[in-house]
Amino acid sequence: MAEENLLTDEFLRQLISVGEVDIVVGLSTHNHAKTVGTVIGAIQSGILKCFPRERVAIINADGGSQDGTTELVTNASIDDLRRDSKLYALRTLHSISVRYARLPDPSKALQTILAGADLLRAKACVIVSPESTTIEPDWLQRLARPAYYDNFDLVCPVYRRQKFEGALVRNLLYPMTRSLYGSRIREPYGSEFAISGRLGTDFLGSGILNQDGGRMGPEISTTIFALTGKYRVCQSLLGAKPPSSRSSHDMVAAMRRTVGALFASLDGNFPFWSAISGSQPVPTVGTSLEVTQETARINRKRLLEMFSSGVAQLEPVLGAILSPSLLAELKRIAALSLDEFEYPPDLWTRTVFEFAASYHKSTINRDHIIQAIVPLYRGRSLTFINENRDGPGEQIETREESLCADFERLKPYLLEIWADGK
Amino acid sequence: MREIIVNELTQAFQQMAREIVHYLPRLIVMLVIALIGWAIAYLLKLLVRSLLRLTKFSKLSENAGATQLLHQAALPSSTELVSRFVFWVAWIGFVLLGVSVLGIAGLQEYISRFFLFLPRLFVALVILFFGLVAASFFSRAALLAAVNANFRSSRMLSSAVRVIIMIFALSMVFEVLGVAEQTMLIAFASVFGAAMLGLAIAFGLGGQDLARKFLERKFGRQVKEEREDEFSPL
Amino acid sequence: MPAKLEAGWYKNAIIYQVHVRTFYDSNGDGVGDFAGLAQRLDYLQELGVNAIWLMPFFPSPLRDDGYDISDYRSVHPSYGTLEDFKSFLSIAHECGLRVIIEMVLNHTSDQHPWFHESRSSRDNPKRDWYVWSDSDTKYRETRIIFLDTEMSNWAWDPISKSYYWHRFFSHQPDLNYDNPALQEEMWDVMKFWLELGVDGFRLDAVPYLIEREGTNCENLPETHAIIRDLRKRVDEHFPGAMLLAEANQWPADLRPYFGNGDEFHMAFHFPLMPRMFMGLRLEDRKPITEILQQTPEIPASCQWCLFLRNHDELTLEMVTDIERDYMYDIYARDKAMRLNLGIRRRLATLLDNDRRRIELMNGMLMSLPGTPIIYYGDEIGMGDNIYLGDRNGVRTPMQWNGGWNGGFSNADPEKLYSPPILNPVYGYQAVNVLSQKRTPHSLLSWMQHIIATRRSTPVFGSGSIEFLYPANHRVLAYVRQLGSETILVVNNLSNAAQSVELDLRRYKGNILIEMFGRNIFPRIGDLPYFLTMGPYQFFWFRLRKI
Repeated sequence: MAEENLLTDEFLRQLISVGEVDIVVGLSTHNHAKTVGTVIGAIQSGILKCFPRERVAIINADGGSQDGTTELVTNASIDDLRRDSKLYALRTLHSISVRYARLPDPSKALQTILAGADLLRAKACVIVSPESTTIEPDWLQRLARPAYYDNFDLVCPVYRRQKFEGALVRNLLYPMTRSLYGSRIREPYGSEFAISGRLGTDFLGSGILNQDGGRMGPEISTTIFALTGKYRVCQSLLGAKPPSSRSSHDMVAAMRRTVGALFASLDGNFPFWSAISGSQPVPTVGTSLEVTQETARINRKRLLEMFSSGVAQLEPVLGAILSPSLLAELKRIAALSLDEFEYPPDLWTRTVFEFAASYHKSTINRDHIIQAIVPLYRGRSLTFINENRDGPGEQIETREESLCADFERLKPYLLEIWADGK
Repeated sequence: MREIIVNELTQAFQQMAREIVHYLPRLIVMLVIALIGWAIAYLLKLLVRSLLRLTKFSKLSENAGATQLLHQAALPSSTELVSRFVFWVAWIGFVLLGVSVLGIAGLQEYISRFFLFLPRLFVALVILFFGLVAASFFSRAALLAAVNANFRSSRMLSSAVRVIIMIFALSMVFEVLGVAEQTMLIAFASVFGAAMLGLAIAFGLGGQDLARKFLERKFGRQVKEEREDEFSPL
Repeated sequence: MPAKLEAGWYKNAIIYQVHVRTFYDSNGDGVGDFAGLAQRLDYLQELGVNAIWLMPFFPSPLRDDGYDISDYRSVHPSYGTLEDFKSFLSIAHECGLRVIIEMVLNHTSDQHPWFHESRSSRDNPKRDWYVWSDSDTKYRETRIIFLDTEMSNWAWDPISKSYYWHRFFSHQPDLNYDNPALQEEMWDVMKFWLELGVDGFRLDAVPYLIEREGTNCENLPETHAIIRDLRKRVDEHFPGAMLLAEANQWPADLRPYFGNGDEFHMAFHFPLMPRMFMGLRLEDRKPITEILQQTPEIPASCQWCLFLRNHDELTLEMVTDIERDYMYDIYARDKAMRLNLGIRRRLATLLDNDRRRIELMNGMLMSLPGTPIIYYGDEIGMGDNIYLGDRNGVRTPMQWNGGWNGGFSNADPEKLYSPPILNPVYGYQAVNVLSQKRTPHSLLSWMQHIIATRRSTPVFGSGSIEFLYPANHRVLAYVRQLGSETILVVNNLSNAAQSVELDLRRYKGNILIEMFGRNIFPRIGDLPYFLTMGPYQFFWFRLRKI
């Protein structure tokens, strides 16, 4: 079993002491001492406020922190040994930490947490990011409750965002997941989510986290696994999106972790997604969250430059990925001025699909395909910003629905190029 | 006088005719050998191709990643490549065998040298092949990295990487072939220098913000740059 | 014959709490009496207890189960005469049983002659024996104890046309301890019984003796002064007699009742009891260890009294709101089970008649530091009847056999002071002394065995306690020590098998001898001592170095 290598003796001893629990809260850390204190405080408050009677344990999978992160996490324990604890808790609260590797590996971290939750027979496992400083105690309930009480297997988050945030989610991840896997999950890649014990055990046993897609993007792989199996999925409205991590601003890394994993999933799940048409809404828990309209300064010129220069300089690479007609279209729009620039939704859709098909056929190295999409995404995000600069929140939603409709409408095109030689 | 010239000419022509008559059968034999060799080589190629297909060699090469590399380097498939190589080696062998029948002195030595040369040629071809593949891969990787890091001269960098790797590969090829060994030294020096250049570029790219800040502080210039908020794509 | 009251006898006592009315009816009137109780003392002797605490038996209108006293120097006629009591006392002493009786100091019945006099006129000499006021606004900060029935601590007396103070039912007016004459009278009452030969008093409702404006009228310094005075007199005239405080307070607030060893000898540890039930259900030792961590040190001559259940509701006054809600949801889903911030159920019914849990709770009762009290009927696992009103559901007739009235009385069943328990699970046909005596593995037999084991060593009664905190929070482990004798107690609070590692390096080299089976367990070494435990299992190990 994969679990054998994940569980060090020390971790196993700690798990034995914790015993069976109802809910596990998992955190994956690496030198997060600046933010994890706030997060763990909110988790602790959430447990005491929302689940005072339930048996809850916090499992921290740490990738070799040197800044005292793990001590901050384990100090959240509430038990009869800590006589100076000012917090009142009905039960002992275990907060344990395990070093799963010398260097961070998100996939191995998630495996470690899931293995722990599996052995502790947790009914629900909530994953929280150690950087989510906007987290509120109620988030724990909003994520765990559907899995713990209402028999949902996967609870995805929905955040209140600034209108320009999450452009990759809005323009690629959401529409593509929706059109291919038939489910309207707004945030298929969430830094917070909850899974049922059943899903966790099945996912761990499937070995996906040891394969390419799972290793690159464990979060989105979890979502896709749930969507392609007989699992009940819902989404829960949380609150303000936590501030972005350092790594998510690195576009290439973000692409690998999301789009790379998404593309990698298409090979193995072809029989599933090829048979689906249209999409279904997903049960949503909580009241709706508005998009916030805080003003923002965007360097649109730079975005256009990155797009046009990308198209020009990557022409030989793009030529190996895209069809000649599409590449010609891209060259045409790359020559447009800032005021005229538009990366139309159906062109973008076909771009994404052609990338996906090339990824499937490995026309060039797959990682290079993912890197090549970055400048094109810049162009699309410029159009996204232009369209939504002045409009109200509802307009953004309308446009997004329209983009999703394009993805769904053009799905046959993907199926067509999937099987052909390019 | 005229009679002597005619006699000499007659003797020379007769001598030539005798030599032609002497070598013609050998020539014919050489051509026959070459022809038969072609046929045998062709048959061998077909045989090798069938054998490779039967033993699913293409699958093996796909698993090893060779198929993709060949495809990306615009070369024919591995099965085809191996069968063609076998054909050419076999036919050239027969041709040389035929040439040896001509009995031209000194040629035998060259022929045996040729056969001794073949393994080194094979190694050199392999090095060249992988050099091509590596050049293609790393130049593309450099191009992508540079474009995504907003480096202006991405193409130049990519070409530079390709050239450096090709130089390196070629110098290794020449060394294996035992040709222009001194070039190896020069090539190595070039590569080393290029590597240093590459590092300088990398540090320059990576530390450009730092350098800019330093310069601004040093010279007190107000850089009129459009400030912007950073939004996470996720 | 118990030895003359030696100092500290109560530390090694095992007390059996019983109401004479409930135990055995000798004269067929449907009510238990002293003659009947005397006849059954051999049962208690066999059980292994060495002290009896009698519920109130003084004359009373019985509107609060005898805690409303109308005559301090007699016996309620339903239970017999004073002579019957003296005879009972003598037999008890012959059986080696000490006798502790109730002394309700704080209040009397409104039928008491003193109250009749006091209310008759403002000039009556006994007027000030009670607490009167023309308005009901004094002592506003005082909480109401019987929340389900009382709206105020003041009641209007139409005869006296003024208000009188009552901390309990309105028919139980509070005595005024600011009155020296009243104080003397109460001492005289106590002396009366001590001279008859009782071995100690449980002093009911002691925190409420004195009232002062601007306070919550509980635990006041003047109250302690009165107690100190009583104690001094007891020590002087009746050395060895024991005073036990009934004060439902937090441990820190209880501590003053021991004084410097010059107030009460013993006090009930009220806050521990609900936490034992909580810890069992939560499968977590935290509630138990925390309350004991907060329990202050007491003078060496003093002792806590521990109990699982008693004649009152399982009180949830000394727990937080979250804890109370949890206890209600787990142990009293039916709202009829709830009364006055408590749960009116017996031990067996609270534990769903689970023999393993009953044993575990009794094991903790017998091994935690303090003198254990067994509530009558819990040793055979008697059930309750929550529909009997107030707390009468836990005060049903003792079940002796499967026959007529469960062997309690020959009277007509309709005449009994209370109907017995009849259902097939807890009824007297299923649960009774006779059938359990015939079974070597019955609960009764087991209780005899554990009491004997407890009594085999003074460590449990007089020893220190040190908690071990194994990483497995489902295991409650502690070491009791007295002199050179050391006992390790390990309890699995969980419904599932558990493994636990104990840090026993301090006791390295000792062999563990399990006290019930007397088998030896491995010697303690440098490594953590590893034990596996079945559901709700507990171990008592004697440590021995050879």
